[in-house]
Amino acid sequence: MIQILTGIQNTAAALDAEHTRLDVISQNIANAHTTHDVDGKPYQRQVVVFETALQNAMTGNTASGSLPPIQIAKIERDQRPPVQVYDPGNPEADAQGLVSMPNVNIHEEMADLISASRTYDANLAVVKNARSMAMQTLSIGRH
Amino acid sequence: MSPISSIPAISPDLMSQIERLPGMTDATAPTALPTAMPADSSSFSSLLGKMVSEVDAQQQSSAQSVNALQSGANVPLHQAVISMEEASVSFQLMVEVRNRLLESYQEIMRMSM
Repeated sequence: MIQILTGIQNTAAALDAEHTRLDVISQNIANAHTTHDVDGKPYQRQVVVFETALQNAMTGNTASGSLPPIQIAKIERDQRPPVQVYDPGNPEADAQGLVSMPNVNIHEEMADLISASRTYDANLAVVKNARSMAMQTLSIGRH
Repeated sequence: MSPISSIPAISPDLMSQIERLPGMTDATAPTALPTAMPADSSSFSSLLGKMVSEVDAQQQSSAQSVNALQSGANVPLHQAVISMEEASVSFQLMVEVRNRLLESYQEIMRMSM
């Protein structure tokens, strides 16, 4: 396959990774008040960890001379303790009337959301730029 | 397609006609050009055919990813759009190559002998 747009593979991988990050952030926001997760405990915030696709580079899957693209290494749980909120009317409340709420901070998630969205935008700008570079190149010598 | 692929076949004929022009009487240059260049012309047309089929494959893969996206498969939106862009740019490249070839062919046809 001809590589018509320069560096588009890495940008596509980064877009994939940012897409996953946006998914995880939306999951965190959606579960900001989930006191009863699948394991019966309050929901724990998920964090995405990125890495360069070193494995591919070492096995020679990528073309020689090209930089390894990034990929999602793992999706980890935030190990901070759940927030204790006094809410005696909640069925999940303990003897002292305290409810363990998820360790999701909406403000933190919004800041992460902005960051992920801007990074996605930046990668889209790279795609746009690569396309306009290719079109400019094709117009060499046209009259 | 046919006028383009016939360009390499025309040029040896032209060259031999030029050599037989009245002004050039000296036969000391028997640079007998091959009257036909089968390997060259076939490689040129195969190159062109390869390019067209490559562009076609790219168009088809882009159509596939758009179809997959619209039928609810787990294809990210940007992947479909990027493959569309790639297909569009390689099609532009093919059109550009065709334009240049036709231009040079017409330039040769306009040449006065």
